[in-house]
Amino acid sequence: MQIYLPIAEMTVPVESILLLGTFVGFLSGLFGVGGGFLTTPFLIFMGIPPAVAVGTQSNQLVAAGVSGVLGHWRKGNVDIQMAVVMLVGGLLGSFIGVFIFKLLQFIGQIDFVISLLYVTFLGSVGALMLFESVASLFKKKTVRSEFNAQKLSPFLASLPYKMRFARSKLYISVLVPATIGFVGGILVAIMGIGGGFLLVPAMIYILGMPTLLVAGTSLFQIIFTTAFATIMHAVANHTVDLVLAVLLIVGGVIGARFGVWFSRVITGAHARIVLAILVLTVCCQLGTQLFIRPVELYSTVVW
Amino acid sequence: MIRLFLFIAALWVLPSASYAQSGSLSIDLAHDQVDITAGFTGAEMTLFGVKEGKGHVAVVIRGPKKTMSVARKENVMGLWFNRHRLKFGNVPAYYDYALSAPESDLAKPETLKEHGIGLNALRFAPDTKRSKPKYFESFQEALIRNKQAQGLFPLKPRGIVFIDDNFFRATFYLPSNVPAGRYEVEGFLIKNGRIALNRSEEFNVGQVGMEARIYKFAHGQSLAYGLLCVVLAVLAGWVANAAYRRE
Repeated sequence: MQIYLPIAEMTVPVESILLLGTFVGFLSGLFGVGGGFLTTPFLIFMGIPPAVAVGTQSNQLVAAGVSGVLGHWRKGNVDIQMAVVMLVGGLLGSFIGVFIFKLLQFIGQIDFVISLLYVTFLGSVGALMLFESVASLFKKKTVRSEFNAQKLSPFLASLPYKMRFARSKLYISVLVPATIGFVGGILVAIMGIGGGFLLVPAMIYILGMPTLLVAGTSLFQIIFTTAFATIMHAVANHTVDLVLAVLLIVGGVIGARFGVWFSRVITGAHARIVLAILVLTVCCQLGTQLFIRPVELYSTVVW
Repeated sequence: MIRLFLFIAALWVLPSASYAQSGSLSIDLAHDQVDITAGFTGAEMTLFGVKEGKGHVAVVIRGPKKTMSVARKENVMGLWFNRHRLKFGNVPAYYDYALSAPESDLAKPETLKEHGIGLNALRFAPDTKRSKPKYFESFQEALIRNKQAQGLFPLKPRGIVFIDDNFFRATFYLPSNVPAGRYEVEGFLIKNGRIALNRSEEFNVGQVGMEARIYKFAHGQSLAYGLLCVVLAVLAGWVANAAYRRE
């Protein structure tokens, strides 16, 4: 069945969008990742304009974030104070990000920058994940004991505007979490991803937050940055397609169920290897566009 | 005698006279509106026409004019990215044409080009005067090639079906990616290599129903639209979570 997307102004097969949403939902149920890294490139690959793909994807992430955060919220695993400080940076980041997006579109380099960012982030994260999960398979003994052993680097510890974060048991400069949030916000606006894959390690290794609180806090923060990015994209670029978003969300809800169920069947390391291979595949696919001579050198866009 | 001669000469010069001399042409469209609905997968547009007298017929259909930006990728330090760009104004978003005979039998290429008939007539004005002609040509060719790949420009002319000697029909196909706007249809009667008559009609392509409302809302009240999208997403996330909990 074909459906017309009113904002993208094109017809797409309903099945493939639903399937994409389901698959991404499956991943988020299984690994707790947002899956934006998969949706945006795939939508662009289907011929949806990059601006619409990114704008709509940020809307879908709001739904994924809300459904994901509620469980953490009930268990009390959200450091609201930390999330609010990160949000100050995050909102500023996505505000600036939307304008960077517009500027890149104006100079005709948006596709290139999106691909380049994806290849860089997916390549490094995928490789690290693959290495880590394969290593843990062979070592057998779990290295989980490094809980909260991180110390803030001397430079970060010397920054001003220190604040006490009771829930995370930290006394650090607000500039550090705000900067992390800022980078996350830019990524939301330009790449159409929640940025969890960057926020989570940054919160563990740079801030030294308790691992237990990281997932809930980053998700809580992501809801607001993605919601803000959605509104910004809608106002500044008119690129949020409600029909496309609804299809992605419906697929995501269905897929997440299977994902949660499947996560009880498969072991963590095996699942992470599969995710790492998937991430690297998407990375290679996008990389070929950057490094291999395209068949058609010319591209045309409506100005 | 001189008077009579003048009268005949006047018949030649006056438009009404040339009408009588060259026969007649009238065209009409099967629809004057193409609706883009939720299930829009493209639409056919049929034109009917009647001509009187001998001659060939050509029909041209043009979508709304857009400014298009054409970019050319180049390899810089191993990476392929858009290096040069050229913008063209007045590019029809859609173009197609139908002929009753092969192009070469109709008229001289220049004549057809002058009236915008055929692929060779697709010439666009670059918005900068600095570009070299050779450079400009390759960008224009690429623009046409990309449009053809999207199904918005034809690869070759369509045929015109004659129901009898004078009554004819031409059918065009508008793919699902056609933009909304006013479309113009022009019919030509070509005699002895000259354009004897032309007639034009218009039709409208537009979103209707639910799709149109979403489009209008998104463009008219973008802030409210953005907020609505966010609220819907929050609700969807909430409902999804509540559904898991029940299990």
